[in-house]
Amino acid sequence: MKKALIVIGALLVAGAAAAAGLLYSGVYDVSALAQHLGPTFRVLDVAMKRSVKVRSKDIVVPPLENPALIARGRARFEEHCVQCHGAPGVAPHAFALGLTPAAANLVSTGELWPAQDIYWVVRHGLKMTGMPAWEFRIPDEDLWATVAFVKWLPKLSPADYAAMKGDASRAAEGTHPVDPERGRLAIRQYACVTCHKIPGIVGANAPVGPSLAHLGVRKIIGGHLPNTPGNLAAFLREPRKYKPDGAMPELGVTERDARDMAAWLGQQGR
Amino acid sequence: MRAWLILALVMSSPAHAGDEKDKARLLLRQFGCGSCHRIPEVADAVGDVGPSLEKFGARSYIAGILPNNTDNLVRFIRDPRSVDSRTAMPNLGVGEAHARAMAAYLRSLR
Repeated sequence: MKKALIVIGALLVAGAAAAAGLLYSGVYDVSALAQHLGPTFRVLDVAMKRSVKVRSKDIVVPPLENPALIARGRARFEEHCVQCHGAPGVAPHAFALGLTPAAANLVSTGELWPAQDIYWVVRHGLKMTGMPAWEFRIPDEDLWATVAFVKWLPKLSPADYAAMKGDASRAAEGTHPVDPERGRLAIRQYACVTCHKIPGIVGANAPVGPSLAHLGVRKIIGGHLPNTPGNLAAFLREPRKYKPDGAMPELGVTERDARDMAAWLGQQGR
Repeated sequence: MRAWLILALVMSSPAHAGDEKDKARLLLRQFGCGSCHRIPEVADAVGDVGPSLEKFGARSYIAGILPNNTDNLVRFIRDPRSVDSRTAMPNLGVGEAHARAMAAYLRSLR
């Protein structure tokens, strides 16, 4: 018994060493030109679909065959989806053709995938595929509008698609209590960590701008604003209003997201 | 003779660099930088008014505006409002040579 454990332990160590050696050797090709091996693609595809299924099973689908909802979804689709996924008779943009994996044709997805799975993927995105999470870009009602349109897509000929008018109006954001934990998620979703060191957020943490490690105890933000939650939220929404020549861009931060991010950042270093 | 000279140069350069760092640290203290900024290895430089200057040499921008190079940093230290008219950082009357010494130190922090 003891001997067997030693053998298993030795095999595990040897396996880990071999895996580390393989990674370090650089033999794995990360180029987007090098497609996955067939079995690799199938394994990843099964893993992705199972992961989505398990997480979407309790989602309650609202009525989707609603012309007003589908028309709003048509507009969201034009704004956010067609660039990578294309549409009936419409090619994806050139940049998207270079993605590995290539984005799915959503006519087929609309036909084959249940609505709650599509909703989950649109809202959460898919790590390492290029599919972004839309939760922080599109209000929930409009996520469902987008799903309603994708489910409607298989009924459309290319001519129907081209002729169909979208409804560009957006669902209102609604009122929500301040939520620092949601703010932490929003900080990732606005890619703050690509320019700032933020303890607790995994990512580049590149020193393009200053570290936000002690933002909760900082007296001045943006070079001249007293550090209050209101000022921080205002700066996050419109940094160039307060620093017109600054490198920090306007990221389209919503009022709710700015407030939640300011609440989380305000706890840092305390 | 020449060998002695080279030896003297080789031996003096690390000590020289150390002197420069000590001088820069002294200047950073003398201009009170630490009352607003955290600065590694500078006594009492634990301020939280402005951003920390830890690893400043790796930072892309100065004051969020200028590309981080020595000349730009000297300019910002000497006349911060010429870079950002609204900045809370005051003009401390720093001379060119002192600004250069402090800039060299800050840019060495990685």
